[in-house]
Amino acid sequence: MMFPIIDWNLISLEVLISLILVSLVVMDIALPRKVEKDWIGISSFVALLGLIIFWLTQGNLNGVTFSGMFVMDPLAWFFKALFLITMVFVFAMTQEFFKAMGERRNEFYLLLWLSLLGMCFVASSADFLLLFISVEILTISLYVMTAYLKSDELSIEAGMKYLILGSLASGFLLYGISFLYGTTHSTHFNVVQAFVSTHAMSPMTLFALVLIFAAVGFKIAAVPFHMWVADVYQGAPTPVTALLSVGSKAAGFLILIRLFFGVFGAWHFQLSFMLAVLAAITMTYGNLVAMFQTNIKRLMGYSSISHAGYLLMGAAAGSALGASGINFYLLGYLFSNLAAFLVIIVFSIATRSDEIEDYAGLSQRSNLLALTMLLALVSLAGMPPLAGFFGKFTLLMAVIKSGYVWLALIAGVNIVISLYYYLMIVKRIYVDPPRNSSPIAVPATIQWLLGIAILGIVVIGIFQGPFLDAAITAVQGMYLSHL
Amino acid sequence: MIIPNLSWILLLPLLGLGLLCLVPASSVSLIRRISNIAVLLPFILSIWVYTAYDHVAGGFQFVTNIPWVAPLGISYHLGVDGINSLMLLLLGAASLSAILISESIKERVKEYYVLLLITIIGTYGAFLSLDIFFFYFFHEIAAVPVFLMIAIWGSARREYAAMKLTLFLVAGAAIALIGLLALYLACGLQTFDLVQIQQQLAIHPLPFAVQNWIFLLIVLGFGITLTLWPFYTWAPVGYAEAPTAISMLHAGVLKKMGAYAIIRFAIQLMPQAAHAWMPIIAGLAIINIVYCGLIALTQRDLKYILGYSSCSHMGYILLGLACFNTIGLNGVVYLMFAHGIMAALSFALVGFVENQTKTRNLDELGGLLKCMPFIGTCFMMACLASAGVPGFANFVAEILVLLGAWDQYPGLTVFAVFGLVITAIYMLKAIRLGFQGPLAFKFEKLTDAQTFWAKFPYVLLLAILILVGCLPSIILTHIHSSTKAIVGTELVSVR
Repeated sequence: MMFPIIDWNLISLEVLISLILVSLVVMDIALPRKVEKDWIGISSFVALLGLIIFWLTQGNLNGVTFSGMFVMDPLAWFFKALFLITMVFVFAMTQEFFKAMGERRNEFYLLLWLSLLGMCFVASSADFLLLFISVEILTISLYVMTAYLKSDELSIEAGMKYLILGSLASGFLLYGISFLYGTTHSTHFNVVQAFVSTHAMSPMTLFALVLIFAAVGFKIAAVPFHMWVADVYQGAPTPVTALLSVGSKAAGFLILIRLFFGVFGAWHFQLSFMLAVLAAITMTYGNLVAMFQTNIKRLMGYSSISHAGYLLMGAAAGSALGASGINFYLLGYLFSNLAAFLVIIVFSIATRSDEIEDYAGLSQRSNLLALTMLLALVSLAGMPPLAGFFGKFTLLMAVIKSGYVWLALIAGVNIVISLYYYLMIVKRIYVDPPRNSSPIAVPATIQWLLGIAILGIVVIGIFQGPFLDAAITAVQGMYLSHL
Repeated sequence: MIIPNLSWILLLPLLGLGLLCLVPASSVSLIRRISNIAVLLPFILSIWVYTAYDHVAGGFQFVTNIPWVAPLGISYHLGVDGINSLMLLLLGAASLSAILISESIKERVKEYYVLLLITIIGTYGAFLSLDIFFFYFFHEIAAVPVFLMIAIWGSARREYAAMKLTLFLVAGAAIALIGLLALYLACGLQTFDLVQIQQQLAIHPLPFAVQNWIFLLIVLGFGITLTLWPFYTWAPVGYAEAPTAISMLHAGVLKKMGAYAIIRFAIQLMPQAAHAWMPIIAGLAIINIVYCGLIALTQRDLKYILGYSSCSHMGYILLGLACFNTIGLNGVVYLMFAHGIMAALSFALVGFVENQTKTRNLDELGGLLKCMPFIGTCFMMACLASAGVPGFANFVAEILVLLGAWDQYPGLTVFAVFGLVITAIYMLKAIRLGFQGPLAFKFEKLTDAQTFWAKFPYVLLLAILILVGCLPSIILTHIHSSTKAIVGTELVSVR
């Protein structure tokens, strides 16, 4: 039997992550149970920083290995970088979270590493089977983490809800893949892509596509696959909410770009209108419902639905501009959303509350938290000079270029609606008098991360060029023409 | 001769902003000093730029052009012509007086000055940019700081007013953005550079159908900023509840960005569509003038009177835009400047009165000339300027607009003149009820503006109004050098 030649360089990140995971497991077993110090958390954090530095030097990895199942291209590189940055924030949040929550933190770190591994494999999948397996690695670790707080009813409920709907979505994905296999006789992206470019869409493939889109729609929280969002976001431990809203959503969009721009690219014009309608419904629904939320995590949940809607605009546009717009938007969204979640987590540890009305007068309790929240929310609303603005700008440009002026107008209305509820929170923080004026202490690590997040929001917002270049490079392989 | 570098107009206040962030919030006087200097320096630079601008040569001068986002054709492109060099002067004067009268702010001083400086920097950036992207970028920077300033330092209904103003303006901006993006894509040049787009469109205008809807989006979007009827409702309540400095800057300058954008992006780039839409805009302009003027007549609150008055006067700007001849457009730019100075002055004065008497209601005020003769006199002069009395800049501007309008819409012009009468009525009413008559007992202890620095902002603005009103040529030559390029045809004869 011949073994395929494996290029270990291409898969170096995944190998490193697995090695770290295994050594952390060993460390967890070897460490005495009663250690106060959070060794696993600290070593995870250090390992992650090392991985980021390593990854930034690997920008020109290109190639295919494992018989074409594993692909390393600029798109994968870009998204793996996004996942690594997200994880730095999530790990720091987790450390703070378990300082307050107490026990069983070590397993949580292991689950986080596992989900990172899953996301990295998603980024490099070039075969529907690998895609399915890596999505499952990601999702199953998320199920466990969502329901992690055994004594918290909301967490259990969230985990259950996520599990049931998530399994349904996985079922859809597998079902869709099987129909696709039935038509194309392959699960390889390349083969399917070749099939798509030479054949017209048949009812059976359309059915398969709809099923696959449903699974992706679940990941990115697009209407009508959004039912789980509010309860899961509210009930899950906050670091998991942050991971769901950024990492898991980015993974979903990565799949969307790979499949609907790459593999099914030739059929895109037939799907484009459907995507545009879904984008419009998703953003409008998310924003309208977000207006009436009183819990900040639920509000962030609905707001993340609306951001999925904005991002879907790029998918509807179907051009290189749309795809790079998605990438850029995700980059800005990552910093803005994680900054907001950092504030939420510090605030909830200090006050035991996630209610928006308790944020009253935050600016007088902690200047840094208030400023970060202000910048994060205003950036999410898409106002210059912050990161969120340029993302919306490129996406709007992409849809107008593809002829969907009506979608751009709906997005314009949505920007106003979203600004309303974001500004209501800003108003609470800066205008309303505090109910309890005791200052909130921010731990040093979190201060650093808040600083980095603010820097990210402002720098990406003002010096858009290099980041847009990275976003464009990431999708360059998929298109022959330039913007 | 040293050529001014326009970037310093942005960098100096930005530097001041950076310094301000480092100063602890408790050292109030240092904060005030840094902010005053950070606003004074760009004003001085603006005067320099204005005087150094060669109006005979015309065109854009002192240009800085740095590629910013190459794939989309965005560049950091600054430059001035006769129109925006004048707008820089307007902003410089208004912002200097606004920051000087902010001495009366005692709470959360540091945050106040930081937000005010951001607003001013954004506005400078918008007027300086010759890149459509950067115009929009800078123009939107002010939105959130203005929201916060109204919501934190405003008066009674501040939260409602702040939200209403911000949402209206952002909605307008979003509509305009879609129009601008469509314009960019329709040009097919892959650049946001205004100069290149101008050159391209002058030779190959867009198809009429395309022009038509892009023009509509841009004018509608920026029209909301310009309080185009029926989208003006945010302005009176916003200006009334805002802290004085924001009322001054917003009514005086920020609003004018709408007119500026319509001139630059709509009228100049899409003249055919402009011709088609003009009669409708002229009609709306008349509604603006008369309707908002009549509402101002019924108001008892000084700031609401000024707010509706400002909406009413925007009608003249719209009417001038709708004329599509040089004389009308000259009048528009002149009026943008004159009204900006006048609005800043009158809001500053009302702010002073409110600060002293704790009320703006005309029924409670009266006889204030007795206890504050300086402020009262300034207010009377501002009212006269607003009513278009000769000797003040507004007179020249309104005459130009009306002459331009008479050429195109003689019937409508009659109503526009009628608007001046309405202005005179409500302004005289404000003077009579507020400043003449018996002085209420509780106001007897009030003091006038006494020190030089307390009087300086009002004197500065008033001096500009009178200077420009008596010597129109010092700004008209600059304006004309640029407007003639926009409308294309030379002065239409005045019959």
